[in-house]
Amino acid sequence: MVDETILREKAREVLARDDVRRLIGWKRGTYGYESAPAVLKDASQADELIFDPTCVQNPASFITLEEKLPVPRGQDPDTRKVAVLVKGCDSRAVVQQLVEKAYTRDGVIVLGVPCTGVVDRRKAQKMFGDTSEPVMIKEEGDKFVFIIDGETREGPRAELLADKCVRCRFPNPLVYDELVADEVAVWGADEFADVDEFEKMSPPEKWKFWEEQFSKCIRCYSCRNVCPMCYCLECVVTKQKPQWTRRSTDVSENTAYHIQRAWHLSGRCIECGECERVCPVDIPITTLNRKMTRDVKELFSYEPGVDVEAEPLLSCYNPQDPEEYIM
Amino acid sequence: MSEEYEPNILAFLCNWCSYAGADLAGTSRTHYLPNIKIIRVMCSGRVNPLFLVNALQQGADGVLISGCHPGDCHYLEGNFYARRRFMLMRKLLEHVGVDPGRVNMSWVSASEGAKFKEVIDETVAKAKEAGPMDQFRRRQLNW
Repeated sequence: MVDETILREKAREVLARDDVRRLIGWKRGTYGYESAPAVLKDASQADELIFDPTCVQNPASFITLEEKLPVPRGQDPDTRKVAVLVKGCDSRAVVQQLVEKAYTRDGVIVLGVPCTGVVDRRKAQKMFGDTSEPVMIKEEGDKFVFIIDGETREGPRAELLADKCVRCRFPNPLVYDELVADEVAVWGADEFADVDEFEKMSPPEKWKFWEEQFSKCIRCYSCRNVCPMCYCLECVVTKQKPQWTRRSTDVSENTAYHIQRAWHLSGRCIECGECERVCPVDIPITTLNRKMTRDVKELFSYEPGVDVEAEPLLSCYNPQDPEEYIM
Repeated sequence: MSEEYEPNILAFLCNWCSYAGADLAGTSRTHYLPNIKIIRVMCSGRVNPLFLVNALQQGADGVLISGCHPGDCHYLEGNFYARRRFMLMRKLLEHVGVDPGRVNMSWVSASEGAKFKEVIDETVAKAKEAGPMDQFRRRQLNW
């Protein structure tokens, strides 16, 4: 259990430093079962910070964001550090960004928050309905205690936990400068049973499933924008010259977009589940990513976001790579 | 009368080995199937896996990527990168429901004209088995 006073105290200390530009964390949302990401610039704001099972967001998504680029002529870019609060899964994003040299280790201050699981908004909504006020959630044993519009209600932890938390193997941050609470015990394991289950389908069945899912897509690009690994300044899907995918939202272009997205995340996806969480039309996007994660693990025994010293998967090779499909 | 279905195959051949292999197949008058359209690239490592998605969108029923044998790459390591990439891309397309027979890769050296013919025959056979690619073919807008 994370003590919020300690969290705020540590955040205040970090924000008070001269070499820190901002701190990214979580604050109370405006309504519903999710917190909101908070970007703090001043030590006096530190009391806004929270940490409880509503904190689903991955703050690592915001580390690479720059305000108002390019810097106006005559001004120097702000090179002060960015501080960030991370759960275990979020810290994998930081590791992978470091592997890809998105920034240097000196450029970030990572405050690690050991996490015991967060609540899936969709599951909670199904159980308790919509709310007009922000919901408070506490974890008590194997139950989550909700305060919804002034009423106290309870739900079983196992049913409300987000999918990524059910199979979480890294509840404790893998990279941090300071931990704000004691480390917690690992409870999950990941056998990729869902991928195996999906693979049992024949190709026409798979396509039938995806055709239905992809035709729902409205190409809002939320999944790309929220992804901590999608930080290119110019993205291939919105590029005009050459135009890789057309902007129309038909099955063909949507499929191409989703293949491109999953492809660009192969060997990089750290399974924070943000893409699926933000999808307004409920496309099971992580199904694609998890397939890639499983294959990368099986074929190249590589796991992204675990080792800061690792080389990015697709910019290295092994002469003994499998090639059974090659004629 | 029912005409037999003839697939369109797009082949990305590397300049140094496979393209020369195809050339040898031609100069030695080997008869290989005409379903294939060749695009010459400097190295199999040049082929972006997104080319493949784009080709399937725009009318190809199958794709072949061919390069030098591992260790023989003109640029020393280009085909090693390509091998990794297409392995994963193939798996991904398979997951989406594209028949894995549409994505083919081969190593053909400059002296393997006969092997080139075999590769083409096999690619075409696989694409024929998979049938016309109508899953996410791009809709042509005429206005």
